[in-house]
Amino acid sequence: MEEVRIGVYICDCGANIAGTVDTKKVTEYAQGLDSVVVARNYKYMCSDPGQNLIKDDIREKKLNRVVVASCSPRMHEPTFRRAVQDAGINQYYFQMANIREQCSWVHENKEMATEKAKALVEAAVHRVVFHEPLQTKEVAVNPNVMVVGGGIAGIQAALEIADAGKKVYLVEKEPSIGGHMAMFDKTFPTLDCAACILTPKMTTVGQHPNINLLSYSEVEEVSGFVGNFKAKIKRKARYVDETKCTGCGECSKVCPVHVDNEFDVGLSQRSAAYIQSPYAVPNKAVIDKKGNSPCRVACPAGVNAHAYVALISQGKFKEALEVVRKSIPLAGVVGRVCYHPCEGECERATVDEGLTIRDLKRFVADYEMKIGREKAGPAEITKEDRVAVVGSGPAGLACAFDLIKKGYRVTVFEKSEKAGGLMRYGIPNFKLPENIVDNEIEYIKELGVEIQTGTAVKDIARLFNQGYKAVFLGTGAGKNHKLGIPNEDNQNVFPALSFLYKINSGDKISIGDRVIVIGGGNMAVESARAAWRLGARDVTVVYRKSEAEIPASDSEVEEALNEGIKFKYSTAANEIIVRDGKVSGVKCISEEKGQQSAEFVLDADSVINAVGQEIDKTELPGEMAYSDLGYLQVDPITLESNISGVFAGGENVAGQLDVIASVAAGKAAAESIGRYLSGVDMREGRSDNMPRVSNIKKDKVKPKSRVAMPKLELSKRQGNYHEVDLGFDESTAIEEAKRCLNCAVCSECMLCEKACEADAIKHDMKEQTLEIEIGSIIVATGFQQFDPEVMYNYGYNRFDDVLTGLEFERLSNASGPTDGVVIKKNGEKPQSVAILHCVGSRDENYHKHCSRVCCMYSLKYSHLLREKLPDADIYQLYIDMRCPGSGYEEFYLRLQEEGVNFVRGRAAEVTNTAETPEEQGKLIVLCEDTLVRKKIRLPVDMVILSCALEPSEGSAQIGKVLSISKKADGFFLEKHPKLDPVSTMTDGIFIAGCCQGPKDIPDTVAQASAAAARALAMISMNKVEIEAATSEIIDELCSGCRICNTLCPYGAITFNEAKGISEINQVLCKGCGVCVSACPSNAIKGNHFTTKQLIAEIEGVLA
Amino acid sequence: MSFEPKILAILCNWCSYSGADLAGTSRKKYPANVRIMRVMCSGRVDPVFIMKALESGADGVLILGCHPGDCHYTSGNYKTIRRMGMLKKLTEQMGIEDDRIRLDWVAASEGDRFAEIIKDMTEKVKALGPFPRNGGDNG
Repeated sequence: MEEVRIGVYICDCGANIAGTVDTKKVTEYAQGLDSVVVARNYKYMCSDPGQNLIKDDIREKKLNRVVVASCSPRMHEPTFRRAVQDAGINQYYFQMANIREQCSWVHENKEMATEKAKALVEAAVHRVVFHEPLQTKEVAVNPNVMVVGGGIAGIQAALEIADAGKKVYLVEKEPSIGGHMAMFDKTFPTLDCAACILTPKMTTVGQHPNINLLSYSEVEEVSGFVGNFKAKIKRKARYVDETKCTGCGECSKVCPVHVDNEFDVGLSQRSAAYIQSPYAVPNKAVIDKKGNSPCRVACPAGVNAHAYVALISQGKFKEALEVVRKSIPLAGVVGRVCYHPCEGECERATVDEGLTIRDLKRFVADYEMKIGREKAGPAEITKEDRVAVVGSGPAGLACAFDLIKKGYRVTVFEKSEKAGGLMRYGIPNFKLPENIVDNEIEYIKELGVEIQTGTAVKDIARLFNQGYKAVFLGTGAGKNHKLGIPNEDNQNVFPALSFLYKINSGDKISIGDRVIVIGGGNMAVESARAAWRLGARDVTVVYRKSEAEIPASDSEVEEALNEGIKFKYSTAANEIIVRDGKVSGVKCISEEKGQQSAEFVLDADSVINAVGQEIDKTELPGEMAYSDLGYLQVDPITLESNISGVFAGGENVAGQLDVIASVAAGKAAAESIGRYLSGVDMREGRSDNMPRVSNIKKDKVKPKSRVAMPKLELSKRQGNYHEVDLGFDESTAIEEAKRCLNCAVCSECMLCEKACEADAIKHDMKEQTLEIEIGSIIVATGFQQFDPEVMYNYGYNRFDDVLTGLEFERLSNASGPTDGVVIKKNGEKPQSVAILHCVGSRDENYHKHCSRVCCMYSLKYSHLLREKLPDADIYQLYIDMRCPGSGYEEFYLRLQEEGVNFVRGRAAEVTNTAETPEEQGKLIVLCEDTLVRKKIRLPVDMVILSCALEPSEGSAQIGKVLSISKKADGFFLEKHPKLDPVSTMTDGIFIAGCCQGPKDIPDTVAQASAAAARALAMISMNKVEIEAATSEIIDELCSGCRICNTLCPYGAITFNEAKGISEINQVLCKGCGVCVSACPSNAIKGNHFTTKQLIAEIEGVLA
Repeated sequence: MSFEPKILAILCNWCSYSGADLAGTSRKKYPANVRIMRVMCSGRVDPVFIMKALESGADGVLILGCHPGDCHYTSGNYKTIRRMGMLKKLTEQMGIEDDRIRLDWVAASEGDRFAEIIKDMTEKVKALGPFPRNGGDNG
């Protein structure tokens, strides 16, 4: 090894270092260290003469190592490396000791600081001995640039680069570019209209041949290094084909969903299909679809509840019913008797009360009956095959309905006289009137389904012989369970099924005064209520479990109690007592938990057995297989029975079911039959659950209770079976539907699809990932406005006319919610307005920083108010007026002349508690006027909060993706606050605009141009030098353990199977060294941070 | 003369070293007992460095990296957490006091925090006294 000859140079940095560190002593000390040939002390080492000292010594004294003790290497390491290189030795033969930022500036005791400086110099001297020459690599620069964020900063940067002939990818997460500036009304101090000066630029971006505008997109991942980045861009599904959309807005007009319009900061509403603003670029619609609404996901039959509710809210009742009929033919039935799992999931319940979704469905069915239904046209028969459905209950009818819509000819066989199964015969008319069932069966017939009543089917082979290719058994469970107690076969004991059958068929039954109903399901309670209508005066439901466990629905029990029905819980019927051949009572035993059971007798003239149903095997074909529970055995997914081509579902498979569950089974069978007949796999993709939307916005929802259903008066219920629930009228239905939170936003009602003449709507569009290669990245992700709701004292969101700055911008904007007329929420013009400065800024509790632009935009608001409301009193409550900028101070003076009242003092509170008659009905701003040292109360009509600018919501994420740091205030950290405010610590990544810190439009534009210039400079150089300090594997030492392989965050380490060792890709390696410290064989060398060098440094610094 | 400990601080280049520089440019004062060494990532810190430092004269060793989630190299600091966890198990058995070895996070914007950590660490190590080397009575 050649002799090591070190030169050490100690910088005074004027008094910056020499003021605290005795540089002379440090120099003397350095001179005495091993291998140090020369040690010098100079006032400014970074100056030309300073650098020349080094260069001359290298040449004259044959130095081969250099140490400079001065400022931070982050400041001048490149300077000295260049000097060393110029003098003919490798730039890596250089080490720097940081005796300014990390010594002289932070210590006061000169002696200790000097000792520390000596140690730092000694560490560098020890370390530099082991330095090795390294060659920096030059890599080509990809000339494409990615700009992230399409506000004014991103637009400016993109245009600069594109105009220079280079290609730009402009990524914007919103559907349109324009950012905040597009929302502003006028711009200070010149009062140009923001849109007028911005929109030409937006349009140019949209049309520029060198700009690839990726709107509604987000950067997901960035890999690579300066000059050679790869980015993955998530292109969110727009559900609109951009190439076809003409921007006509028809989709928006028909869309029934209305949600807060972000562009008007919630002051207006937009539809789910919308174009962001009148000057959107690209001028293309977007459909805001967040997933599937909870109500929709909850429906077993897949009825799109959200869509019909949304359509009802807009008075589109016919369309709403069509949505229901896309899935099920029984809107009126299900709208009455469904157990509404949708309502259980309704998110509105977390605000106040869930929607009465079922009643809304019923409403559209009733509405159609009221206005008269047009005859449904027959469904188009497209398939050769015929299908037989046995049973015309909900399962059978749903199956037939789905099959005919698929194009199959369907025949339904029903053993009873009329179709409808238990809907007709098992549910009393006061809950489900017969004409509703008739109407819906008629509708199914009109579609082309043939229904043969009075036809029992027991022979399946015959059906196949008749030409049917598949069979669905929807035969239900029509046999009453036995009670299993003495005397249950007495003539006064009625099985509930036959009791209800008789009632619904209009047969006469005599039941006497006292009736006992045994059971606890809906059918038990319905039987009890029917008995009461029949004339029984004392009706008791005897249920063997507790009140909490009763399976009948809450509303059913509640209505029964209203009608005077009694309930005996935890009571089992043991014996029916018969005297003279007639029922006289029921012997019961009470089984209250924790109490001794007691026997007693309830007097009765009749008993109704409503303990459940079972299937009647004698009515089913002989060859069917049964499960252990005695039901038909079918495949749980395909519903195919033991006989190929024969399917079954509903109560004959699952036992007693709700109507909707039977409907769901019928639909599932229809799907299987369709697949079976066309030879498609019957299982594939069947169990996919619809994902439910999360993150539902409901923080600003004003509570409003659900609309109650009007009911038939109690006095009118006896002696007849008139329907109890009377249904909504049109206005109450709309009112109730409007409470919907629109969880998923788009409801997929599909009206837009019909309205779009360009055929641009694509509801099945999927999110896509685009991979692009770029050489540099400009981040311009902007800011967001501080949300003042957290400052309770200012009353935002508590009082109607407390606005944020952005809200006022929209209110004052001609394209805003009021067409630019400044009015209060109640529509009146304000007579007085107070503008509160520094809301969330310069406040220890929220943001310490000054947001820079608020004083100026507050002045602008005053001017706009003065223009629009010449007689209004306008107050500005400020801490300090900060108006630095071209024409800014002059604007301030102008406003003073325009008669605006300036009050120096931060507002303490906004209240509506009046202390004098003049304050009545006003917002009172409490403040101390610090210039006259007086507390004041300002009664005003409107308060505008000039809110702080804070880093935008997504900036933390993009910061992580790009590995760029944030400052304490959350804005991106620049490489140097003064000399390099557009660069980041990561080479090739630049920042522009408010993402770096609050600034006004001129400064933003200037910084964006500067960032563009930096990117262009890299492109025109065509190549960049990259750090040589990467890691490498010493082949002979590597044992091939592969520990390092998984540690590398860049995937730079791979295992070479042939050699049995790992290898590091030098282009991918970024030199972090995490693998070096993990290698158990010390086989990885972290260049320029080798273990030898670092140990030497440790020994040196502690010597 | 009171005991003045020597503390070696190994700082990652991106967050903590920048944070230490920021403490300097903002002239935050902290004790001169700390000696700073720079590595690119706290993930480069080999537990051996810490033992070597204690052997070579340090009374305490401080490792500073980017806050979890903010690592310039994505995940280097998570590796450091694990390694330090392992090392602490050993040093505990060796009777080395917990306060002598510390892993913490300083962001590039946290000059104040850096100064506070140095003050705190210096006080704690001062209270512990010199690290017993060669002939110390802890075996």
